[in-house]
Amino acid sequence: MSTDLLQLLEGRRVVVVAGAGGVGKTTVSAALALGLAARGKRVAVVTIDPARRLAAALGIDALGDMPHRVDAARVEASGLAMLGTMDALQLDPRATFDRLVAREAPDEAARERILANRIYRHLSSTAAGAQEFMAVERLHELHDSGDYDVVVLDTPPARNALDFLDAPERMTRFVEGRGLRLLLGPRGGAGRMGWRALQAGGSMVMSVLERLTGAELIGEIREFLLSFDGMYQGFSDRAAAVNQLLLSDDTRFVVVTGPRPEPSAEAHALWDRLTADHYPLGALVVNRVHPVPGGADDAPDGLEELLRGAGAPDPAGLARRATAALEAARARARADRHEIDAVTIALHQPHVVTVPALESDPVEVAGIARITRALGAA
Amino acid sequence: MTSPPILDRRLVFVLGKGGAGKTTVASAMALGLADAGKRTLLIEVASERRTEVLFGVAPAVGGVPHEVRPGLATLSIDSEKATEEYLARQLPMRPLVELMVRSRAFHQVAQAAPGLSELVTVGKIWDLATAVKGDAPVWDRIVVDAPATGHGIALLEVAGRIRELAGSGPIREQAEKIEQVIHHPAATGVVVVAIPEDLAVSEAVEAVAALRERDLPVAAAVMNAVRASVFMDADEAPLAAVATSTGGAAARAAATAGLADLMAARHDQAEIAALAIGTNVPVVSIPEVPDLRPGSGGLERLAAALMADPAIGGGA
Repeated sequence: MSTDLLQLLEGRRVVVVAGAGGVGKTTVSAALALGLAARGKRVAVVTIDPARRLAAALGIDALGDMPHRVDAARVEASGLAMLGTMDALQLDPRATFDRLVAREAPDEAARERILANRIYRHLSSTAAGAQEFMAVERLHELHDSGDYDVVVLDTPPARNALDFLDAPERMTRFVEGRGLRLLLGPRGGAGRMGWRALQAGGSMVMSVLERLTGAELIGEIREFLLSFDGMYQGFSDRAAAVNQLLLSDDTRFVVVTGPRPEPSAEAHALWDRLTADHYPLGALVVNRVHPVPGGADDAPDGLEELLRGAGAPDPAGLARRATAALEAARARARADRHEIDAVTIALHQPHVVTVPALESDPVEVAGIARITRALGAA
Repeated sequence: MTSPPILDRRLVFVLGKGGAGKTTVASAMALGLADAGKRTLLIEVASERRTEVLFGVAPAVGGVPHEVRPGLATLSIDSEKATEEYLARQLPMRPLVELMVRSRAFHQVAQAAPGLSELVTVGKIWDLATAVKGDAPVWDRIVVDAPATGHGIALLEVAGRIRELAGSGPIREQAEKIEQVIHHPAATGVVVVAIPEDLAVSEAVEAVAALRERDLPVAAAVMNAVRASVFMDADEAPLAAVATSTGGAAARAAATAGLADLMAARHDQAEIAALAIGTNVPVVSIPEVPDLRPGSGGLERLAAALMADPAIGGGA
């Protein structure tokens, strides 16, 4: 019943991997990228978490803003034939934002003014939301570069996995600053209906804000908005283009979850939102599923004898503990099965891919390749 | 480490990677503090009402906190509501507040302005922390279930950022006061939660480094969901032999399950060591508890484990 996810994603240009925090999104993203690359695609994977171990597993010293090539020999040593290429990079919101400004700024002076503005510096590096916005922007950049057949995006660990979908619009709205410009004394627009009333309200609001924050902050915001003058169009075109790409048939969303109620609930909410907004859904990946122990539901007959034969000092005691461990492992596998069935029904029978739990996190390409094999015939 | 245990600090922020169990740890800590006789308020910031699952009572969304246990109340902060409340206090004239709140321009700014929702959230926490009734503070202790790491750090540093940005006026003054308290290790403690997985541990290590760099008082790291084993090193060889023997499938599966149990416990101990070395703060381990629902006693067990630790409860 498990879907071949790599087959399902054939021909797609963008794969967005989303889900609750802590379900192994980053690892699944890497495994997916590896599988697509093994099949002959030129793949870039963008990770959001500062995943040093992942970088180490891929044989890269440190992931950065610029793509790093994963060594094909390393991949082939893990038993996968590497027909394509895989590049990995880690999102650097500030660097991405700076490039966006450089691209859209009308001239050198405007660019310098923006890069030096304190509001901009705050916005681009620390503001919550900047990371989400820039993740989508970086995706767009890589897609447009023509260097890749597929870009895999590991989405930010937002407190709400849905945040990143709204980020471009929210950020554009702020930069566009329609509201703020109204407050700060806009140019143009005079003569519109209700304008005078709005302006009267605006200046009142403004004087309150100045009283609360001091004139300097307001001055800086004014300067920030003036610097962005002439760039709003570029920004909103960009946000619209990204959204268009995400809605197109070139894209598939992969939702990752774990076989537990909390991430399932989040996956459910995410799935519903993506469906409602017509984003193209690929599959649901249930990660870290406990495998079903051998021997069906049989009692472990002869265990004590076997342990005695193997030289156990207290075979009866050890057999009791091992039997209890077997019961617990069977119960975990049953609970997982139950959770997967429940979420499959709740989501109206999506494509479901299950990935077995590994004994430990993948610290080498071989570990990631094991997940790749669970995702499809690589 | 000479810094006071968490029990003695008025404000505790619980940070961590999504899925690491921040809400569980924050709730258990708040329960432990309440049991130790402190009037405790547990605040949810992400407004996902996760504490409801643990206490069986939904947190109040704004307004008066809901009492969920004797001496323990919960509240979920909604940044839009908090913004309105804040303005209402800053501006003596009600019509002006109405005008602000109704203004579309204001809403656009409030939604998109970087840092504004963090600022009002911290402001609201500050108000609750400084609220007094008669001569006594309303809350002895406040535990904040902060959003996931990056957003959590943004929340903690917003007061400092605003102080830098706002030149003068009441917002700057207030930001300065908040910043001082949040940075003071006698008043505030930041706890970072991890689970025994490589990525969660490396994120916790990086979070602690980022907090230190910002001069925020990191008090402890909590390793959640640590698996214990009833198997010993001496069991490994016979279990491994049986697992690969020609015995029955169920017998081999039992040996394999025992072996996996032992390996899991060893793995978790190694992760705890990595967390301790990487963060250089006291690491408190709490067990994996399968059932945390009200009445199961699970949360009480975790609360007791946390309070027994010198870094959290001072061993009290």
